[in-house]
Amino acid sequence: MTSPGDAAPVKPPPSFSPGVPRVASKTRYPNQRRDSSPSLDADLTESRVVSPPPPLPATTSELPIRSASPRTPSFRSSTPQLARSSLGSPVDGRFEGSEEIRSLIIRSFSPVVGVYASADTDELARQKGFAGGFWQLIRPFGENIPGKLVIRDSVGASRSWEDYGVRFVDLGNNNQGLPESGGRNSPLAHLEEVLEKQLGSLDDPLGGSLFPKDFLGFPSTSPLYKLYLRQLLSIASAAPHETFRHPVASVIAISSRNTAPLETLRRLYADTNNGNKKMPDWIHPEYLRYYLLVHDEDRDDITESTKLYDQMKRHFGLHCHLLRLRSNQCVVTDDDSVQVPECEWLSPSERLFGRTEPLVDLDTGGLPHVFESDVMAIKAFVRELVAQSVVPYMENRVAVWNDQVASRRRGISGRFMSMSRRWAGFGSGSRSSLTSGGASGNYDIAHGYYRYDTPEAVLRKMADFAFMLRDWKLSASTYELLRSDYANDKAWKYHAGAYEMSAVSMLLSPSSLGTKVKIDGIDQILETATYSYLTRCSDAPNALRCLTLAMELLKSRGGSAVESAARWAMRVMDQGLVGSIGQGLFSERISACFAARNPAPGVNWGSRRRKAGMWSVFAADLWLRLGKPSLASAALEEAERLYADVLHGDGAFTMPEMQTFVDNLRHAVKVEYLEARGLDLRDETATAAALGTDETSEQLDRRKNRKSLIVKPLDSGIGPTQGMRDNDNAADDDFERA
Amino acid sequence: MSYYFTILSPTDVPLFNIAFGTSKSGGDGIARFRFPDTAQYMNQFIIHSSLDIVEEAQWMNGNMYLKHIDTYPPASAYISAFLTPSGARFLLLHQPPQLPNTGSATGAGGGGGSSGSILGGSFSASALGSSRASASSIAANPTSPQTEEAVRQFMTEVYENYVKTVMSPFYRQGMEIRSAVFRSRVTAAGRKWL
Repeated sequence: MTSPGDAAPVKPPPSFSPGVPRVASKTRYPNQRRDSSPSLDADLTESRVVSPPPPLPATTSELPIRSASPRTPSFRSSTPQLARSSLGSPVDGRFEGSEEIRSLIIRSFSPVVGVYASADTDELARQKGFAGGFWQLIRPFGENIPGKLVIRDSVGASRSWEDYGVRFVDLGNNNQGLPESGGRNSPLAHLEEVLEKQLGSLDDPLGGSLFPKDFLGFPSTSPLYKLYLRQLLSIASAAPHETFRHPVASVIAISSRNTAPLETLRRLYADTNNGNKKMPDWIHPEYLRYYLLVHDEDRDDITESTKLYDQMKRHFGLHCHLLRLRSNQCVVTDDDSVQVPECEWLSPSERLFGRTEPLVDLDTGGLPHVFESDVMAIKAFVRELVAQSVVPYMENRVAVWNDQVASRRRGISGRFMSMSRRWAGFGSGSRSSLTSGGASGNYDIAHGYYRYDTPEAVLRKMADFAFMLRDWKLSASTYELLRSDYANDKAWKYHAGAYEMSAVSMLLSPSSLGTKVKIDGIDQILETATYSYLTRCSDAPNALRCLTLAMELLKSRGGSAVESAARWAMRVMDQGLVGSIGQGLFSERISACFAARNPAPGVNWGSRRRKAGMWSVFAADLWLRLGKPSLASAALEEAERLYADVLHGDGAFTMPEMQTFVDNLRHAVKVEYLEARGLDLRDETATAAALGTDETSEQLDRRKNRKSLIVKPLDSGIGPTQGMRDNDNAADDDFERA
Repeated sequence: MSYYFTILSPTDVPLFNIAFGTSKSGGDGIARFRFPDTAQYMNQFIIHSSLDIVEEAQWMNGNMYLKHIDTYPPASAYISAFLTPSGARFLLLHQPPQLPNTGSATGAGGGGGSSGSILGGSFSASALGSSRASASSIAANPTSPQTEEAVRQFMTEVYENYVKTVMSPFYRQGMEIRSAVFRSRVTAAGRKWL
């Protein structure tokens, strides 16, 4: 019996770990094992409700059954490691997972706040150890606003959110707003590369600190997939067709070192307005300006700063803040040092090229430290910025635009206007007449954008604002309004974007619960969006984003929507939008979609367990081909859990070819895993000898296609059961020949 | 169009399997699935996974012939089902032919078993395949009423032969059907209707 202490450094599939004589003793007490590894415990509580696992019969009586009745072919007992998947209630985990994903999606669409700091402010930040300047210092703190944030929607109802955040972008250095040029590597390739890197660090047997999490978290959502999703959602840079990455506000910062503070502020403002930092034509230039005075606690006098601050308030109004920071660099050994949190929303290219430190040095994370007082000050500043300036400003803009632009379009006259425009060619339904009669002329075909002040652009901005304020009802109706306009102008990217976001906001808005009709309508919308993105604009990243969002949100709807979700995920794989790692992740996702479908109450049909199991098996196959046997093993384990309910009694597949395939796959995973660990196979032979399994080889010889023939000793644990199955198969073969 | 027909016992044990191709519009009656030869288990996986839907559909519908119940989009495989009173189920997987260009791509990746092969063909291929004008409507569109009707005729004919076969005094319930006569009759029915 393994003592709890021995089991503490859990490495992925314990059944394969060398030196542990068969695994049965370990898997018999899943509780005990879990308690013995505190690092896993934390992950478990985080990812799902921990409930005492209902002991599975096959789990608890692993060894006795085998010795007592060796003739029972058991699908489950053939790989002992799968017992671990019974650790928590899978249903709870799945539910939590979907909420988490939903929140992740919502948070990915947060307002962007530009940061434009004077040279002296950047200098101050650099002194503190932030090479990227002031922007880098405050960036991580914008991603999560502490405390609740109350937002009023268009009808005046308030709702408070715990997880609101903003993104700080640097207006000073990297030239904002320019869309990614086609010559560079595609963002999807970067995405794949990031995953590769992450996987590489995970698979390293020594540095696999993240791995147990990945492994045990599988029934809900694997962290790898979450990383993938987060990366996918942070690809977007500012583009004409959607305004999520256009700045909603900008922080103009000076420090107390500045000799001519007010003039500097004016200059910075002028820079953002019409200087070299001017936005392109499709970004609305009227965004909120927020003035920030950074006071250097270590070197400057606070009375001077307060005086200056009062002056600023007189000049610039209410949107001002005095931020008191210490300029000395903080080191780890300082009393009140706090590590700066890591940025959650780094785009793939940033992750690849920008920050290599965390990968090198995992202990400190490569993240600089700051004083606790500084953290408090920055948090207070960000909260005040968002709660008192950004959100009210956005609410205000939405109300104004809704009043001035949208209601005119929504009203009876607006309908008539757009209708008369559409039917200007006297109802001749041909497409060519639509171009002449229907196009508003606001769309700049040569450059492919609407100017910021055209009603189409303003409406889109309003809808995006409403979306970022989480007023999905308003945003859905506005996107719906826009869709036909964009189609008339043949502004296909706008068109696709409007369709995409209208589907997403419909899925997010809580009131419209998924009836069959609704889901069908959403499927239609998604179809159009994908077609526009892929065929008309050949914009793969956006198409992938659209389909992934659709899949996740449909999945979180539950019920019949999950099948729709699975279909979209299959579509993603089929269109070749994802690379090889993505294929594996999406297979797992499809499996999770089907698994989320519960049987009808009171009866045992209506679930999609077989489909879920099938996709898990495919995922395992894909992982194995990628040379990730540990992931394959996890997927296989999941498949066995899913299949457990539908395979009658003995747990073997009734279809011979399926059984063969799964057997081979399982064996290949095992072999590869052992090889990856550099394990000497003699070990296993010794174990087999110790267990004293008698293996009859004449039955195995009849099978030509079995890989298991090659490395026989490994199968020792499942020898007797296989012998039995071979008997079955022999009979089946006869029958096939008949 | 390639077909894979299987009879499953109430406990999901396959009693009878046959794979054949269309004989209409110049087909030679040989099955050409989109999976490479090494991945023929895919048919069984797809059939097995569609049992989820069969279980659901059999309670929603009073007919023995359940029509087209399930699709496996990556390989554009369509499943039709037929229930017998004894609880045995007839499942027919049909797959429209692949366009030559995608066919060669899958064939090339087939030996190594690339990721493309496991998923079979593609959506676009199936869409194109179904829209392609063909002499036989059955081969062109697996969900059209003509196809449903043809499959129904096929199922009924197989059912008649099945009843005759299982009434044989040498047959026990749950046994595989090894009768060569039955196999040839199923093949004939396939040639006649599909």
